[in-house]
Amino acid sequence: MLALLKLLQSLVKTLHSEGTPTQIGLGVALGAALGMTPIVNAHNLLVLVLLAVLNVSFGAGMLAWAVFVPVGFMLDPLFHRVGHWLLIDATSLRPLWTTWDNTPVLALTNFNNTVVLGSVVIWLLLFVPIYLASRFAVVRYRATLGERVRQSHFYRVLSASQAYNVYRWFRP
Amino acid sequence: MSTAGSVRSGEASTYGPPAADERAPPNEPTHRRRASFFRWRGITPLAFGLLIVGALWLLFGERVLRSTVEEAGTKALGTELDIADLEIHVAQSAMELGGVAIADPFDPRRNLLEIKRLVVELEPAPLLEKKLIVRRLTIGDVRTGTTRVTPARAVATGGFAPSALREMQRWASQFDVPLLSLTPIDTIKSIVLDPTQLASVKAALALGLRAESTRTMLEQSYTKLQLQETLDSSRALLTRLQGVNVRTLGIAGARTAVTDIRRTATRVDSLRRRVETLAASGRVAVDSLQGALRSVDEARKSDYAFARKLIKLPSFDAPDVGAALFGKVTIDKVQQALYWTTLARQYMPPGLAPKQSDGPPRLRAAGTTVHFVASQAYPRFLLRRADVDVTVTDGPARGKYVAALTDVTSEPALVGRPTLFAIRRSTTGSAVDSLRITGNLDHAGARPRDVITVQAAGVELPDFPIPGLPYRANPGRGMSDMRLTLDGDQLSARWTIVSGKLRWAADSLATRRLNSIETLVARVLTGVSGLQLNAQLTGAVRSPKLTISSNLDRVVADQLRNVVGAQVAAAESKIRARVDSLVDEKSAPVKARIAELRTEADRRVADARAQLDAETQRLDAQVKALSGGLVALP
Repeated sequence: MLALLKLLQSLVKTLHSEGTPTQIGLGVALGAALGMTPIVNAHNLLVLVLLAVLNVSFGAGMLAWAVFVPVGFMLDPLFHRVGHWLLIDATSLRPLWTTWDNTPVLALTNFNNTVVLGSVVIWLLLFVPIYLASRFAVVRYRATLGERVRQSHFYRVLSASQAYNVYRWFRP
Repeated sequence: MSTAGSVRSGEASTYGPPAADERAPPNEPTHRRRASFFRWRGITPLAFGLLIVGALWLLFGERVLRSTVEEAGTKALGTELDIADLEIHVAQSAMELGGVAIADPFDPRRNLLEIKRLVVELEPAPLLEKKLIVRRLTIGDVRTGTTRVTPARAVATGGFAPSALREMQRWASQFDVPLLSLTPIDTIKSIVLDPTQLASVKAALALGLRAESTRTMLEQSYTKLQLQETLDSSRALLTRLQGVNVRTLGIAGARTAVTDIRRTATRVDSLRRRVETLAASGRVAVDSLQGALRSVDEARKSDYAFARKLIKLPSFDAPDVGAALFGKVTIDKVQQALYWTTLARQYMPPGLAPKQSDGPPRLRAAGTTVHFVASQAYPRFLLRRADVDVTVTDGPARGKYVAALTDVTSEPALVGRPTLFAIRRSTTGSAVDSLRITGNLDHAGARPRDVITVQAAGVELPDFPIPGLPYRANPGRGMSDMRLTLDGDQLSARWTIVSGKLRWAADSLATRRLNSIETLVARVLTGVSGLQLNAQLTGAVRSPKLTISSNLDRVVADQLRNVVGAQVAAAESKIRARVDSLVDEKSAPVKARIAELRTEADRRVADARAQLDAETQRLDAQVKALSGGLVALP
């Protein structure tokens, strides 16, 4: 329940932040990687660094992480199939993976694992659609419901949380 | 305190529905300030986060790593791996392990190895490729065969090693080691046999069903001939034409009548051909049943052997006696060597093809990890050389040993050299004069070849129980030589024991009153003071042939033949009579049914032939009568 409330709080704060729809959309698209792909991998460290140092919505990234975790679990069989095809069935790609797996640092990416590679590839393919969809959703929300929600008592209660101060560090 | 989405002092709201007089679109600031691409202040919390991660690693990293290594090692070896202490020396890219214990997969109460201190120094550059190249391995104070405080837990989870262990146990159970049966022959009063267990009875019952189905098939085929209908039709025609001639019928009528008779005769001929076809197929079917009947008789031979085994008649064949005496101990020895060889083949596979393994365990799906091997690259694991001092604390081989390993690798094709290991005894004056274990695991080529040899001289050989007798044989000091070669899937294992001081001890746990044959065998065995054993396992690794010969089995077989040979022969004929009676009871009705089937088929065919011949003659006579002898049937 608490997690749900936190998620809701995060959602509302993100939608009502000073970030532009583009910044929120990019934050969501980057944060989706943290949820869709197995978390303890080098590419997710890069995604975290990008979320922190690029002028995108960090909160949106964290929100997307939470939202996309169940999606990732659900799509694991698909990721495995895609990864299996890329790593094993597509023999023309074998030289690429052989080089990758035997190159310093690149070998640490775990891209020789079917689920890791499949999920990263699918995330990259979905990056632009996720960005566009979330950007569109923010624009529509702000044009229709945003102001009414902002005036509501519910919004004031949520935004009064102390956690907001930490959140502001990353506010775009 | 400001709240989310609140407007800073002096700034306009950045979003929201436009006012009536505003022209700027929603979601866009009226006076947009160009946002910078980077958010440098984000580095501060990032660095803070990294610091926390670093602190957690310092606090719990070694503990987590120790647990991970224990888990992975247990899975890989198929037996419990315990590590008491683990330290990481980042500056030296080294790892120090203390209190390492590997449980014996064949005895959970013993440790195969117990290592007090183990230091692994790694080359740092290959670590960036997730590869472990061991520059130096220092192992101190190794003990083998120590007793465990708590028994090792069974490794039941997935992984290759547990499945290899199960496979080896299944492999060992496939050998039909004969029992050394020493039941007195005169106690065999009656032979209790379950007829359903006899192969020939099973075959006879199946044949009975087959004969029944053949009979039904022939019956149906005979009915389908419609013999009676054809004959009735022909007789009706003849009855109609009886007493008529050309004058009463006229030319046209006579021609029509001749045509009808010829048509009927053609039908009769066609039916005769079908009868002949049926006769031929009937003969083939009955011949086939007769052939199957012969296989029932052949199955009887295996039933004799089965019954012989059931009542445990002693065998006089020396190889059988040898296998009964030393089969289990031989298989146990080879099984252990084969287990480690199989494990080596799994973790050191030949070739450079990508290798698949299960992904890392995690909440998410593990997936499959593919290891791509590039030529001119580091292997995933390589131990260039290790020199180890080992102390065996328990058993007849206790003492100090020196061991050396070279080129232990996960990709032998990259290294291009076989893995070699050697263990040599470095102390003298105890239970072993010399002991040498060498191994050559050559997986560099496409066909792996593994050779393991164990040579011990002046060694206190382990004692072993004599199956079926309350005695243990203690070979004393002697020579043991074992060589196992696994070339592709062809196994060749040889084990030799020579001892001149064989002693016999009563097994206190199995003491009981001996019967007459046991007493004889015991007297024969305990009178032998030397042991020469040659055991061989050869053939495909999945189903090798076990051959054992020793001076003991020759002596036992000769004595048994002299003393109880006549009684055994009598018991054997009794067995044969009993089997014959059971099999005949079931097979005699089947034989009778097959004979009856042949007679019935022949009778029916002969009957049909006779009727058809008679009918053809009548039709021919009628044609001649109509034409005044001018026309006849072809």
